Amino acid sequence: MPELRKDPVIGRWVIISTERARRPDQFSSQVKAEKEDLPCPFCEGKEENTPPEIYAIRPRNSARNAPGWDLRVVPSISPFLRIEGDLDRRGNGIYDVMNGVGAHEIVVETNQHIANMADLSEEQITKVLNCYSDRIVDLEKDTRFKYVLVFKNYGKGAGGSGINHTRSQLIATPINPKRVKEELTGARLYYDYHERCVFCDLIKQELVQKERVIVEIDGFLAVSPFAARFPFETWILPKKHSCDYTRMDAESRRNLARVLKTVLLKLKKGLNDPDYNYVIHTAPFRRQKAGYWKTIDQDFHWHIEIMPRLTKVAGFEWGTGFYICPLAPEETAKFLREVAV
Amino acid sequence: MAELRRDPVVGRWVIVDTDHPSKPEDFKYEEYIPKGGLCPFCYGNESMTPPEISCFRDSGTKANTPGWQVRVVANKFPVLQIEGELDRRGFGIYDMSNGIGAHEVLIESPYHNKDISELLLQEIESYLKMCCVRYSDLRMDKRFKYIMIFRNYGAAAGASLEHPHTQLVALPMAPKNALEEIRGAHDYYNYRERCIFCDIIRQEIGDKARIILENKYFISFCPFVSRFPFEIMIMPKQHSGYFCHISNEEVSALAQILKETITKLKKVFVNLSYNYIIHSAPINGDEDVEYYHWHIEIMPKLTQVAGFEWGTGFYLDPTSPELAAQYLKG
Repeated sequence: MPELRKDPVIGRWVIISTERARRPDQFSSQVKAEKEDLPCPFCEGKEENTPPEIYAIRPRNSARNAPGWDLRVVPSISPFLRIEGDLDRRGNGIYDVMNGVGAHEIVVETNQHIANMADLSEEQITKVLNCYSDRIVDLEKDTRFKYVLVFKNYGKGAGGSGINHTRSQLIATPINPKRVKEELTGARLYYDYHERCVFCDLIKQELVQKERVIVEIDGFLAVSPFAARFPFETWILPKKHSCDYTRMDAESRRNLARVLKTVLLKLKKGLNDPDYNYVIHTAPFRRQKAGYWKTIDQDFHWHIEIMPRLTKVAGFEWGTGFYICPLAPEETAKFLREVAV
Repeated sequence: MAELRRDPVVGRWVIVDTDHPSKPEDFKYEEYIPKGGLCPFCYGNESMTPPEISCFRDSGTKANTPGWQVRVVANKFPVLQIEGELDRRGFGIYDMSNGIGAHEVLIESPYHNKDISELLLQEIESYLKMCCVRYSDLRMDKRFKYIMIFRNYGAAAGASLEHPHTQLVALPMAPKNALEEIRGAHDYYNYRERCIFCDIIRQEIGDKARIILENKYFISFCPFVSRFPFEIMIMPKQHSGYFCHISNEEVSALAQILKETITKLKKVFVNLSYNYIIHSAPINGDEDVEYYHWHIEIMPKLTQVAGFEWGTGFYLDPTSPELAAQYLKG
């Protein structure tokens, strides 16, 4: 019998359908028809092919926009949003409009031409995680922005380009995005009722039940969520409550790098290097103004959502927001637990 | 400067690239060309599907044999199961229930290679009437709260079988997107005492910039806040909450506008895959739907939804709906 499961935070129902009875290994990514490899503007020595850098780790104090770096952040060549200008909120009949002001940055995670973040060293991933934090803190200074989304598109099926150089993106938006608002609102409702953080409760229950846990390393937990939307969807949560990604200490970031690398490697080895997305959900900027609520620190809990792109999202999902997950998260967790890395 | 636009119904913001808009030739999409082969939905293979639930067929022909125009069968791999109780329950912080529902497949015509754009108007009318017949029947089952009619055309849009078909899923709870639309429409109604969709239609007919086609009963247009490039909405001009309340005259008008809209879309994008969904009011609950207005949403599969969209629910539309409408109008 298929099961309907409800996400405890945002209330989304998901159908866990096991009727087609596929085994986890049958979801392996198809053998890729000759992986396209376009000329790379992100490798060391190609700095003139990107816009001037915003941020870089240069251990030997080399000149800006020249070789000799470990990691670089540059503005997107084709930004979704522009940094200059005012929001100019306005109406057009029943429609509301504002200018597309925001920031769109690319984090080039290494100077080597490596495609998958899973193949970076833990040390290098730690640098990437530090960089996210530094960039978020810097963008917070711009009062036009309310939120910074950190995300990664790996592979064409995940919206990536044919340039196989691992990188992530940051987008600062002048509004709180809908998904984020839903999570915040759901978490607040739970907090109002229970006076506890819903994510902390979720972590406690997962640690007791164990069947959806993938790995637990040094203060972090990787789980297949109870109401997963996609097969092999994976969340990484800090066990210690914190609403804000940027407040993590240096040791936690090293630990997070280890968990992230472990999970990404398990996906790569277990599922034949699938395309994937990940996103970091952290609290919005907490500036005192209308609409701000004071319990965000208590009721929200930052986390990372990793979504391998193994199935196609079809009309049903778009239309209903009701996802069909063809494999139970208990099975995907078991499968990933057993992949040796 | 790109523009941020807010969906008046659900409040979703979308980034519309008005600076460097993508033109039709800029999209590299996966073309869909049927390969043929053994098909359970073709004439003569009726025994390969579960037995038919409903059918329009020539008089004198027997059930589950050739001679039909539109045929409805249960999905061989249903995502929900028709028998049993819902049994809502909790486990710690988690809520769940049994997967009760109906999942039917509507085979639109006997033709393996004919999309809606190639069917005769009369054939499309039969197809639409059958959608109504099944909708009205499933609605009688009080366990169901929502009926979703959707169509995945082409592999990129998630169709697993080539022969064009539409799916009906009856759900035991109204899905999240439907609730959001309904809440948004309800808030608007409380504030203005008017249907928001009727207001949208009025403004679109006034603005003209996004209209693709219009006939006596329907308009088809690129919504002001499109999530996807070349997204299209078809709306009945007459206020109505339920798709299945459509009159015969309206069925003819819908067949015509649906056929012409898809034809125009496929003229701009040859061998395109796309999805469409019929949005209708929930059933077996709050039947007061003065504020809801059924409509069809058509989503061409031209781009991949990436991390940003998943993470934020904030979409990027590389082609403004005004420009898309211009191309589609031809």
